[in-house]
Amino acid sequence: MKKLLELNNVKYFYQTKESEIEALSDVNFSLEERAFTSLVGPSGCGKTTILSLIAGLLVPSSGEILLDGQKIQKHDARIGYMFQRDHLFEWRTIWQNIILGLELQKKHKDEKKLEFAEELLKKYDLYAFKSKKPRQLSGGMRQRVALIRTLVLEPALLLLDEPFSALDFQTRLKVCDDVHEIIKREQKTALLVTHDISEAISMSDKVVILTKRPAKVKKEVLLNLSGATPLGRREDKEFGNYFELIWRELL
Amino acid sequence: MKKVNNNFSSARRNFLRRQRKDKFFVGFWQIATLVIFLGLWELLAGVGAIDPFFFSCPSRIAVTIVDLAGSGNLFIHIWTSLYETLIGFLIATALGFIIAVLLWWSERLRKILEPYLIILNSLPKIALGPMIIFWVGSGSGATIVMCVLICVIITTISMLNAFIACDSDKILLMKSMHANKFQILFKLIIPNALPEFVSVLKINVGMSWVGTIMGEYLSSKAGLGYLINYGSQILKLDIVMASIVLLCVLAGGMYFLVAPLEKRYKKNG
Repeated sequence: MKKLLELNNVKYFYQTKESEIEALSDVNFSLEERAFTSLVGPSGCGKTTILSLIAGLLVPSSGEILLDGQKIQKHDARIGYMFQRDHLFEWRTIWQNIILGLELQKKHKDEKKLEFAEELLKKYDLYAFKSKKPRQLSGGMRQRVALIRTLVLEPALLLLDEPFSALDFQTRLKVCDDVHEIIKREQKTALLVTHDISEAISMSDKVVILTKRPAKVKKEVLLNLSGATPLGRREDKEFGNYFELIWRELL
Repeated sequence: MKKVNNNFSSARRNFLRRQRKDKFFVGFWQIATLVIFLGLWELLAGVGAIDPFFFSCPSRIAVTIVDLAGSGNLFIHIWTSLYETLIGFLIATALGFIIAVLLWWSERLRKILEPYLIILNSLPKIALGPMIIFWVGSGSGATIVMCVLICVIITTISMLNAFIACDSDKILLMKSMHANKFQILFKLIIPNALPEFVSVLKINVGMSWVGTIMGEYLSSKAGLGYLINYGSQILKLDIVMASIVLLCVLAGGMYFLVAPLEKRYKKNG
């Protein structure tokens, strides 16, 4: 499968008043097009730093990040970022939240883009809430809106920074299914950062395991599970074995 | 049109009844407190327990207001204070807001000016009174400047704090969607700070009246502050009290004009 994203010998140092901190040391991995990859590692190992580097919000101290063979530019339009919390703007309606990115990129008068946004709302059962304010939606619905807000910009690569961690367990399972379905249906490449091993296994085609800080890739695990949805994949007999394998690597 | 369901359960009926009762109870006692206070004041003055010369009483205040209104002077004084307060309030709020935006925009400027803001905030603005008279002369100009000085620093500090308090992840989200700094300001920072802005408006209503009265004490030929000063100098405390009552009504009126904004914007916070 074609590689969409490549990280080659990426290093990153944080500067503080007291010292220089090495956050990443020689990170190398790649994402295959239309594949769902998860990034797991010990707490504070630099998972979010990797996402920020890919999103162009930070610049690597050395090494290179290639998207479709080209070096990543600052704020690359081909990359969409979904945060831990939905960050919907409470003063805007759901529709206004969804077209926020289009507004920022001055594409909000483009009929095709607006039609696509409406289509996504309809497809994912949010059209009836178009004129509602975010506070009138449940946690799961809000996360779906946040995802659609990102998808409307039609990114080639989706970065998901623990987008389910603020949800309760039951909602989380449901939203995982929804998000997975949307990403697969829209044929997007996704990179999920999570501290939840089960979540990583249930959603991904590949799990990249990082060492503690300064992080580098410890192991890549290719997953082969039956089941169309994350919930279905949890029922596969191999699920437990993968869990144990990744758990041991993280110890 | 919204459908109204009249088939309430008894628990729902009881809840609504309790709510209505509570609302009535609070409203009743709000009015009763005023009536009792005025009644007691009048009674104590009537039986000689307090000296009406020093403490006045509601009937004397009412007569004074009618007399002042009859002479045609009252409206000049009310209009002067109201005009000075409104102009001061508007200038200070706009100016404070603009300064806060500039300080949010430039972190370096913010760091440079921070100690000066703290000092200016702690400075009792009345100390600048004589200078203000030298700069702009006596009269309404000086009062408006005093009013602006009192409100502008607190507006700047409050709005700046609200701007800075904006969730950094929300800013990152905007950046991840390629927003420039203007877009971050107008689409996130300012709308996000609207609840705080409404709070500042409410504070400024009170503060601008403080500025007006202080300015009029210093130097003025009209206004409620002037009237209070004049009344105390000729030992007519009824005039002082009548002016204070009018001040309460005007300041309260302005507050109630601003208060509905809070209801509208606070829930978005």
